[in-house]
Amino acid sequence: MRALSLLAWAPLALIVATILGALAALALHLPLATLTAALADPETHFALALSLRTSLAALLIALALGVPSAYLLARRRFPGKAVVETILDLPMVTPPLVAGIGLLFLLGRDGPIPALGREMLFAPAGVVLAQAYVATSVVTRSARAAFGAIDPGFAANAGTLGLPPFWAFLLVEVPMAGRALLSAAILGWARALGEFGATLMVAGATRFHTETLPMAIFLNIASGRTDVAIACALVLLGLAFALLLAIRLLAGERADPMTEAPDARLAA
Amino acid sequence: MPGLRLESVGNAVLAPLDLTLAPGEAVAVLGPSGAGKSTLLRIVAGLLPHRGRVFLGNEPMTGRAPHRRPIGYMSQDLHLFPHLSVAGNLHLPLLFTGLSRAERTARVAQTLKTCAIAHRATRRPAHLSGGERQRAALARALVRGPRLLLLDEPFSSLDPTTRRTLWREFDTLRRAAGMTALIVTHDPEEAAALADRTVTLRAGELHEERTTPPCFSSTTRRCAAC
Repeated sequence: MRALSLLAWAPLALIVATILGALAALALHLPLATLTAALADPETHFALALSLRTSLAALLIALALGVPSAYLLARRRFPGKAVVETILDLPMVTPPLVAGIGLLFLLGRDGPIPALGREMLFAPAGVVLAQAYVATSVVTRSARAAFGAIDPGFAANAGTLGLPPFWAFLLVEVPMAGRALLSAAILGWARALGEFGATLMVAGATRFHTETLPMAIFLNIASGRTDVAIACALVLLGLAFALLLAIRLLAGERADPMTEAPDARLAA
Repeated sequence: MPGLRLESVGNAVLAPLDLTLAPGEAVAVLGPSGAGKSTLLRIVAGLLPHRGRVFLGNEPMTGRAPHRRPIGYMSQDLHLFPHLSVAGNLHLPLLFTGLSRAERTARVAQTLKTCAIAHRATRRPAHLSGGERQRAALARALVRGPRLLLLDEPFSSLDPTTRRTLWREFDTLRRAAGMTALIVTHDPEEAAALADRTVTLRAGELHEERTTPPCFSSTTRRCAAC
């Protein structure tokens, strides 16, 4: 019985050990002084700053496009909805390199909108485009699930209480989906931060120009500067850990925005 | 001038029906499940498309969006907003009434007191008992001072003692406010306790009208047998 119980824990232990092993190998590969110097390297700083700027811009685009689309998909029926939903899921299952080639041809000289391509291709704007392409898919899918889980009767009821539809959406449905939407945003942001394949195709890999954190890892591994590559990898890991932890911490209940009353359970 | 007038109102579920409520009158709609009772309420609330015409007083409501109708609607599932406290649930309907924050706060406090739920003002709906949830939902439906109250199986999920208490309280409250009400229920006892008149819907058709059974006292609104 005890052996069976231990056996049940074995797969979990193996997964956790593998993840921790890979992280430890990465973190302990360099002496502390070398790692500190690599973390202070201007290239690491540039990559971090560009990654944060572009991924946040991509997240804003993803939220602006993804949340209304998700609401429409969750609330309305229309012909071809299944096809539209499948198309929206495609960026999540397509290899990023393939998505990048598609975007490159779409915006390239022979594509339908070359003028836009001249502005975006092989430029930081291209990084934003590639990141937004993948993040929007994640945000839309997660937000659709969030809105779909809310009984439409709440919005209908809000209407009978005198709230116009837009305000019913903003004051009732969005707060009710709040934590799930925030999780969707964090997941989308994490996906944008780690985007590599599509960015490589659309924005290229140019030092101090389109060099995001994943691109810095790629460029420095390729040129033998493993110290900067490892520093960038650790920064990415730290950001990913912080974002995932934020999702976990979202479980806490917030104060009532209508009355600013303290948490009722604490008061009770 | 009638309180509520329905002229040939119907849709795919409901056969065209006529119904008139006098101002301050409460009418109960009885009928088995699937008869179209809730559909009728949802049509009057503006939540479902329909044929025919709906008037509140002499004012046509047909084609008017739900948020523009001076109606209080309490659905069977209550739909109290879980992210807001009880007081927050009452503040929300007042946001677009033009009242100042102080006026809104006073109105909310008064309504909570009237519905005997003021002691739970800061609680979230998830932390209320069944009876408290019903009181909170009723208070929310009343807070804007609607001209017509629509109640869908308002007290169906409660124990008999709490139900009877709430029947009495609601009846007193409604009569004091002189409010017209259309109340859906499948329980003849509830219909008799809450309404002046009862109509029956069966398979989407309005079949009969009758007044409150004589066993209910006109002063206490209680059945002598209860």
